[in-house]
Amino acid sequence: MFHPKKPSSMNPHERSMCLQGDSGLVLTTDPKPRLRWTVELHERFVDAVTQLGGPDKATPKTIMRVMGVKGLTLYHLKSHLQKFRLGKQPHKEFSDHSMKDASSLELQRNNIASSSGLLGRNMNEMQMEVNRRLHEQLEVQRHLQMRIEAQGKYMQAILEKACQTLAGENMAAVASASYNKPNINPDVSAMNFPSLQDLNIYGSSDQLHNQTMERSSSMDSFMRSNNNDNFFARKRPNPYNNNTGKSPLIWADDLRLQELGTSAVSCNIDDHQIQIVPLSIERGSDIDSGGGDFYEPKSVLSGDHEAMRENKFDSVKLDRPSPRRMNIQTISAGGVTHCRSSPFG
Amino acid sequence: MAMLMDLDFTSFGYSGTTTTTTTTGSALSDDGCNWNAWSPVVDWEALSGGQEDFHNLVDSMMDESDFGLQGLNVRPNIDIEEECHYLYNATTTDHDESNGPEDLKGMRLIHLLVAAAEALEGTNKCHELARVILVRLRELVSPKQGTNMERLAAYFTDALQGLLDGGGKCGGNHLYKAEHHPTDVLAAFQLLQDVSPYVKFGHFTANQAILEAVTHDKRIHIVDYDIMEGIQWASLMQALVSRKDGPATPHLRITALSRSCGGRRSFSTIQETGRRLTAFAASIGQPFSFHQCRLDSDETFKPSNLKLVRGEALIINCMLHLPHFSYRAPNSIASFISGAQTLGPRLVTLVEEEIGPTGEEGFVGRFMDSLHHYSAIYDSLEAGFPMQGRARTLVERVFLGPRISGSLARIYRGGGEEEGCSWGQRLAACGFCPTNISFANHCQAKLLIGLYNDGYRVEESSINKLVLGWKSRRLLSVSIWSSKDNES
Repeated sequence: MFHPKKPSSMNPHERSMCLQGDSGLVLTTDPKPRLRWTVELHERFVDAVTQLGGPDKATPKTIMRVMGVKGLTLYHLKSHLQKFRLGKQPHKEFSDHSMKDASSLELQRNNIASSSGLLGRNMNEMQMEVNRRLHEQLEVQRHLQMRIEAQGKYMQAILEKACQTLAGENMAAVASASYNKPNINPDVSAMNFPSLQDLNIYGSSDQLHNQTMERSSSMDSFMRSNNNDNFFARKRPNPYNNNTGKSPLIWADDLRLQELGTSAVSCNIDDHQIQIVPLSIERGSDIDSGGGDFYEPKSVLSGDHEAMRENKFDSVKLDRPSPRRMNIQTISAGGVTHCRSSPFG
Repeated sequence: MAMLMDLDFTSFGYSGTTTTTTTTGSALSDDGCNWNAWSPVVDWEALSGGQEDFHNLVDSMMDESDFGLQGLNVRPNIDIEEECHYLYNATTTDHDESNGPEDLKGMRLIHLLVAAAEALEGTNKCHELARVILVRLRELVSPKQGTNMERLAAYFTDALQGLLDGGGKCGGNHLYKAEHHPTDVLAAFQLLQDVSPYVKFGHFTANQAILEAVTHDKRIHIVDYDIMEGIQWASLMQALVSRKDGPATPHLRITALSRSCGGRRSFSTIQETGRRLTAFAASIGQPFSFHQCRLDSDETFKPSNLKLVRGEALIINCMLHLPHFSYRAPNSIASFISGAQTLGPRLVTLVEEEIGPTGEEGFVGRFMDSLHHYSAIYDSLEAGFPMQGRARTLVERVFLGPRISGSLARIYRGGGEEEGCSWGQRLAACGFCPTNISFANHCQAKLLIGLYNDGYRVEESSINKLVLGWKSRRLLSVSIWSSKDNES
């Protein structure tokens, strides 16, 4: 029977109100006048109730006596006391909006503080938690990729060094045999790589191919659903393209030293592998991934990735130097540190 | 692995004493009996007549396509039988199809290997029998071809043969580099990294812990017990250069411990590693310096030989059992750990092999554990190289074979005692405190193994330790520790 907050719901009669006497009561002018419980009036009511020993002990009659407000009827008090007993906080109806908001905020804060586990949380909070974790995972993933690349790059340096050393040995051998060919490039056939020659390391692996295609296609759908094909999709190497030197699965027909030194470095596999990562996130046990919403931040983040990656690549220069470039470098280094002049170009 | 632990090896062939088994080999085959019925009360003296008997015995084992279990009245070795099955199935890719002829042969090989180990160093030694079994094994397996189990059995056969012939004296310090061409080693290392997460798991998890420990430091000093080719530090440098919080790229100093004994591969000599790391650091703009600290002639570590600078965050890095690493003497490692303790490092990172639960298993028990361990590794590699048998055998030949013979020799000599306690436990005993593995680190490890075949798993066995396993077998662990002084 409280209408003060809902003036629109009142009928036109009730809208016309008048002050009644010096008691300050606000009553409607319709035949059965309703009382407006102002803050002051309610405070007096509460005082009276407290004085009488609480809402359960107080009766409308005693309250009317204690309050001593003219014009206040038993009918008014009965109804108000009933509300007071039931709602316990009918006064909230009288507080203004800001108070209400503040208290509800506090309520929320208490909620968050009290529920450290997932149990007491509402969906929003859970979503936030999931997003936060996902964000962290994506960060980790980005770092991981860069670390793998760095390690691959380093490994490549080792392999190239080994190539050069071998080439040197071979040159010496060739020279002593008085063939005397001025062959600077590491010659494939001359390489002493007994165990790895014609090894078909990744060549005939149909199984692996299928696996990749499978994963790639699932990646595709993943990408499309995100409407974002920058990051992973661009990274995806074409398993059938042998020329890019980025193909992870095919080490040409036979594994040659030259390839080992240049294209067949661990980055290759890594290029291929990193694209699988989102799948493993899906599988990740840490996140209870129920809905497609979880991928939402990914599109945002992928943009970041792209930027970061570009950035990184610029500063780090992760592209692999070709053996030819290596040679130029060694020559231009003036032969001071023959093989050692920054293999990381 | 609880099963392995629970297994009572002393029951092996003990309770099954039947009179038939005390007769000669021919009698055994007549009975349709097999090696399951061997017992310590076999009158070996009666068999000493010649190797013919053994041959018959072994042949009878091999001829029984069903292992003679069905025809056996007494099944004394049901435990070991189950264990062998378990051992085999737990590490084989296709659990459901364990009835093929290959599986049967695999089971047989395990039986023979265990039998040989038992004959070599069981409660009832009989080197003659061991020799005969090994000869038979040798006919069945080759390290270069055949199934996983066959190739694995070939290395175990070799290792057992070595113990039988040399008594395990020369098997300890296996310097595989001396036996293999450097390019072979390099190629194997490359392949190992590409198809299995072992190396990266160890390095990245340790590095992540290091990064988290030095977030606000301007100078970082890492003392590396076994730097090898230095590949661990490439990714750390990259991470340091790209870190956003904390002071701008901190200065990194790495001190590698060097050993006076030579024989190291050319691509992993300390000097070469130092040059390579310096060049790499320069290429990405990481302030870097490299130092060496020589170990004593007996490979013990003296903290006083180390150059320390005030204000540096000191990190102790101890990579021990990565598949491509050389064996290091326990005394040397112990001296490093206790020496490190006096330095009060910010963080200690330890990578070590997970060995099976220790008990009073003796040689045979540890042999079984070793067999289990390596068959898990073989299986994981096979999953990584599905069709590239020759690449796989290269990795096996260069890294795993020597490790198998080395570890069997140590088990043989020391009864497994020297490795009974993990280095992590040793660190705890030295007063180091476990440091929590972060969510990011755990997450990284999970993402990393997600890049490889299904079958690998990461588990957090305690708050400061991540374990990499293959199927049900734990293989490698990373644990991180800090000095008590650094607690904050």
